[in-house]
Amino acid sequence: MSDNPVSNSPVLENPVLENPVSEKPEFSVNPEMPANPEDLSTNLIQVKDVTKKYRLGHNEVEVLHGINLEIKDGEFVSIMGQSGSGKTTLMNIIGMLDRPTGGSILIKDIDITKKSQKELVEFRRRTVGFVFQQFHLIPSLTAYENVALPLVFAGDKDDGAVASALERVGLAHRMHHKPVELSGGEQQRVAIARAVVMKPKILLADEPTGALDANTGSMIISLLKSLAGEVTVIMVTHNKELAAYSDRIVYLKDGNVAV
Amino acid sequence: MRLHMLVLKDISRRKTKLGFAVLSVVIAAAAIVAVVTTFSAATEGLYEESNKFGANIIVRPEVTTIPLVAGSTSIGSLSMGENYIEESEIPKIYTIKNNSNLAVVAPRLYGVAELGNSSVVIMGVDPEKEKNLKSWWEVQGHWITAETPEKTEVMVGSDIAGPLGLKEGSPITLSQGNLSIDAVVAGVIESTGGNEDGYVILPLAASQYLLSKEGKVSSLEVRALCNDCPVEEMSRQIEGVFPGLEARSMSQIVDTEMAVVEHTQSSAMAVSIITLLVSTLTVASTMLASVNEKLKEIGIMRAVGASNAQVVSMLFFEGAIIGIIGGGIGFAIGTAASSIAAPMLVSVSPSPMWEILPLVAGICILTGMVASVIPAKRALGIDPAEVLRSV
Repeated sequence: MSDNPVSNSPVLENPVLENPVSEKPEFSVNPEMPANPEDLSTNLIQVKDVTKKYRLGHNEVEVLHGINLEIKDGEFVSIMGQSGSGKTTLMNIIGMLDRPTGGSILIKDIDITKKSQKELVEFRRRTVGFVFQQFHLIPSLTAYENVALPLVFAGDKDDGAVASALERVGLAHRMHHKPVELSGGEQQRVAIARAVVMKPKILLADEPTGALDANTGSMIISLLKSLAGEVTVIMVTHNKELAAYSDRIVYLKDGNVAV
Repeated sequence: MRLHMLVLKDISRRKTKLGFAVLSVVIAAAAIVAVVTTFSAATEGLYEESNKFGANIIVRPEVTTIPLVAGSTSIGSLSMGENYIEESEIPKIYTIKNNSNLAVVAPRLYGVAELGNSSVVIMGVDPEKEKNLKSWWEVQGHWITAETPEKTEVMVGSDIAGPLGLKEGSPITLSQGNLSIDAVVAGVIESTGGNEDGYVILPLAASQYLLSKEGKVSSLEVRALCNDCPVEEMSRQIEGVFPGLEARSMSQIVDTEMAVVEHTQSSAMAVSIITLLVSTLTVASTMLASVNEKLKEIGIMRAVGASNAQVVSMLFFEGAIIGIIGGGIGFAIGTAASSIAAPMLVSVSPSPMWEILPLVAGICILTGMVASVIPAKRALGIDPAEVLRSV
């Protein structure tokens, strides 16, 4: 196995991309992040020999077989692969929604797999944001309240962050609507606003366009692209065209990074 | 927005389902409130009733009963002691320290006589004093008056008047051994539910003559007119001036009745507590179903930064809300139910017991929170990665 897994990872050149939402970030997710991808040099995330096993009845199934991966600050990385290749599992482990069976995940050189449950809660609150295929908004809450959820759980005051996040995704005028009153694309934009409202370092998007039509999907990808730089975006997708929007594509096959 | 607002919004979305949990708390709270309110009113009514009749004291001979045994076989019993009070000694009662509290001292003589072909219990009384004690008796006819040489008047209880066809003005003859008295029925006492329903009541002197107990009485009924007077102490004072007599205060009798009331109350309360336990299980079951329905939402909350403590506190808050709503409605229904049922069951009209409202609310909140423990454990066991992947 290579010492530098990044060099072994297949990388696609970033295609010319029109940003339908915003040419430049309207607010900085993290002021320390370089705005220009060319300035990227620091590895924010290091995935080292990560394995994941699940128990299915009496059998044990290994989903990830020693994954190695490095992702730079502000980078937009797509993870592709066939169903069952371990894409979502890897993403959940990077976001510490799930713990690896072996190996380590370093964020800014700190091994988060060694963190306590309490520290992981804080990690999920302030360092990562999640976007899911099915949006996963709370139906009883308005768009504004859904975006405010991370602030509520973190005990932070809303000093305009919620409105700013909704404005960033172009939904300031729909903030008092409940999910059922929003289109699929609008719901996903609310979910993205919720994911970035705490100004995390990492945005994890699992098939964010999977439940949307092609045009709406492109808008969502453009939105994620506009956020990259301010925040490191890791997107799981099946769609090569959408993956082409990212800075780099990592292929997973049978629980390994495909070479 | 705060955590509790999240819970309230969620409750408002699932009103119907949580309604069943609230309903079970309502039933338990209503049962407890109805039992407590009804029996508290019954207890209060019992004491009020005893006070209304002047905290009476009954004075009678102290009789010791000794069982007679031959070998291992019982052959009866032997009563020892004087069975009557000497009428001449009655004035001694006015020598007690609290004599100013003695409103009425009414002598009574009990015995059995023949009336036609029937045996009846007769009760000799001082008509004037007895009327003071039993002013609530409804008499068809009139109260007996002082004995006149040519005619003895009697009153009969309703249980005797009916079968024997007696009414005001009916002539009767009471006999005992070789002695007899011709009398006329002055009145029939309407049923009181007491022993007097089966008595023939006649002037004391006539009863003493008939029973050959001149100068003797069976007991004294004492009416002590006072507010919070020391009835127990007065009983002791009476026993002090009448050696060999037993003075039993009505409060002791009330206490005996109270024991019956308390026993009934305990049984009813036991049923209420069982209802409360069933209610706890119902709330727990509803909330567990609710958690199972909200697996995805709980997973989302965990993903966006909810800690275990926050998830648990939200469920506990939900349980407390169910408890407080159920407790409040249950209090109202229990109070209304007792105001309808108590007059029929224990002949009292209870007032709302606002003072128990905080306790009922506290019990119901606790019920809701205890019911949240199992759902909370279930919520903590949720793997957010798994539930978000599976939906």
